[in-house]
Amino acid sequence: MSNNSAYKRKNLTPMLKPRSVAIIGASRDPSKVGHVILQNYINSGYDGKIYPVNKSGDDILGLKTYKSISAIGSKVDLAVIAIPAQFVPEVLDECGRAGARTAVVVSGGFAEVGNVDLQRRLTAVAEKYDMPTLGPNCLGVMDPRSRSDTLFLPTYKLSKPQIGGVSFVAQSGAVGSTILDLIVGEGFGLSKFFSYGNAAHVDEVDIMDYLVRDDETKVIVMYIEGVNRGRDFFRIAKEAGRKKPVVVLKAGRTAAGQAAAHSHTASLAGDYETHEALFRQAGFTIAHDIRELLYYAKIFASEPEPSGPNVAILTNGGGAGVLTTDAIAATSGLKLASFSRQTLDSLKKTMPPLVNLRNPLDVAGDADDKRYGDALDALSKDPAIDMVIVITLFQTPGADSRVASKLIEFKEKSDKPLINISIGSGYTEMHKIMMESAGLPVYDSPAAAAESLSALLKFYQFRSRK
Amino acid sequence: MTTQLMDYMEAKVILNKYGLRSIDSKYVNSAAEAVKFAANGRIVLKVLSGKALHKSKSGLVKLDLSTEGEITGAFDYLTKKAADLKPCKIIAQRMSPAGVEIIIGGKTDPQFGKTILIGLGGIYVEAFRDFALRLVPITRYDARDMLAQLKSSKIITYAGERQKMLESLLMSVSRMLEEHGEIAELDLNPVIVTKTGYEIVDIRVLR
Repeated sequence: MSNNSAYKRKNLTPMLKPRSVAIIGASRDPSKVGHVILQNYINSGYDGKIYPVNKSGDDILGLKTYKSISAIGSKVDLAVIAIPAQFVPEVLDECGRAGARTAVVVSGGFAEVGNVDLQRRLTAVAEKYDMPTLGPNCLGVMDPRSRSDTLFLPTYKLSKPQIGGVSFVAQSGAVGSTILDLIVGEGFGLSKFFSYGNAAHVDEVDIMDYLVRDDETKVIVMYIEGVNRGRDFFRIAKEAGRKKPVVVLKAGRTAAGQAAAHSHTASLAGDYETHEALFRQAGFTIAHDIRELLYYAKIFASEPEPSGPNVAILTNGGGAGVLTTDAIAATSGLKLASFSRQTLDSLKKTMPPLVNLRNPLDVAGDADDKRYGDALDALSKDPAIDMVIVITLFQTPGADSRVASKLIEFKEKSDKPLINISIGSGYTEMHKIMMESAGLPVYDSPAAAAESLSALLKFYQFRSRK
Repeated sequence: MTTQLMDYMEAKVILNKYGLRSIDSKYVNSAAEAVKFAANGRIVLKVLSGKALHKSKSGLVKLDLSTEGEITGAFDYLTKKAADLKPCKIIAQRMSPAGVEIIIGGKTDPQFGKTILIGLGGIYVEAFRDFALRLVPITRYDARDMLAQLKSSKIITYAGERQKMLESLLMSVSRMLEEHGEIAELDLNPVIVTKTGYEIVDIRVLR
């Protein structure tokens, strides 16, 4: 096995919380990556020191520009490098000599296009100075708290996420920026974003190790194509799974089977299966596509530990209630709750006679905020109910913004996981945004809601496993 | 890296060290030796060769033999079949009990090292691909979770009755894989699980 290398922790804090940033390859030309990165640092309100570095030395965007990183005269926390690949090893070496604490190489043109030797030189320089270096061929990092952001995506194309507890790690820059864009629409906040590209120095093991220890990170979400240091990753993954929810999407699920296997075992245990085995042992939640990744991230970002598997469904539509009941029954780990005597007595007093007092509780299409409130009051007090799904079909006569406000009111005081299912377009979307920005996760399908609750339950069961 | 098939009896001895029971077996050089081995009951004759992975598919197994005539006929037939598969040996084994056939296996992944697998076995391995995989070493929780992951879990565990036994079996195999670095690949296929125990019927170790 080639995985016995002793693990040495890399300090990524100066990369995420830099007090000073040098942007090497900063440019006056708005079409250049170095220009976009500099512009983003200025626009974001980053309050550390910004040092544009450009061979010409002419001021850029009104900032004093340096001809080289050594000309700055002080050690920077982060050097962002956006210059043609062939010059990178030399410039990185200069960063090391100038005492830069970390570096992000956004430039492409390395191993991904066959320039393996050039990438080896980059790795050697990073190791020589013990300078954590992210990339090459990556988007880099974003931290909405420190406002450090090396992503060269024009701000008009991508709304920046809110501050929150979800950290996102992607090998691929394209998938990373897609997900970043989607996060904004899902209403949960970001802690850290990493796109690590070719992983020539800092890789998924280092990033996971950092995020496990990062108090601002409550949930880790990963998109990976492969792992380099298998056994190191296994060790840090097991530690991560004990401490925080980790949601993972692994590409390459349908990779061609093992050619010319000598045993049945070898023919079954392919690359994807082996990664999946590791994820299961570490207690990760496995997503199969980007939508699932977001569903799971959302539930972990907002919901507390469930006290058990019993789910109550409150709905203003009979059909949606039945579909959700089916989804609960079909999802491993979950059970349909039976209401306690006390709940039934309380509902008898508050619900109109037509409401059938059982789970799913169908409060009918004319249900308004008052009826939702009365029902939620009874359900939230019932010790036989561990989790609550509230379905609000906003197409019905009774459902309006007052219902959404009522749910938010209950969400704020609920110690049980409480999620919403709303299916619809314009008017529904508006209420989805309203509820999600108040920390109430909204799902657009019963299956997604059920699977997310199941993932939540399994994470806490895994933590308390024997 | 080229792998080689470990001698069956040598592999059986390693399994034994970990309390892994495999079926009573003996190499036979003649029909007479096979007849002698069959004195206590029905036997199976198999050709063991590094060149043949699918013994039953390739017609290299003769089941349920008891009379001298049956055994001699089968031995001669297999000797002929084996001519192209040298080096090879013919092995005689007691007939296995009836039960559920499972596979327990191991592999060395280039990235993650040793892995362990359990699944519905015998001829069903490739048809249903119902298996669970983990990285070695496994914990008791992992073993339990592997069994729970199988669609055939209830069949294999006899609705939970053989659950503990199978968990322990998996943990013993995991320990063996961990301690025997030379085992690159392992197929225990089939392992016959019965209401009262288990019996490893075929062993294939690559090193």
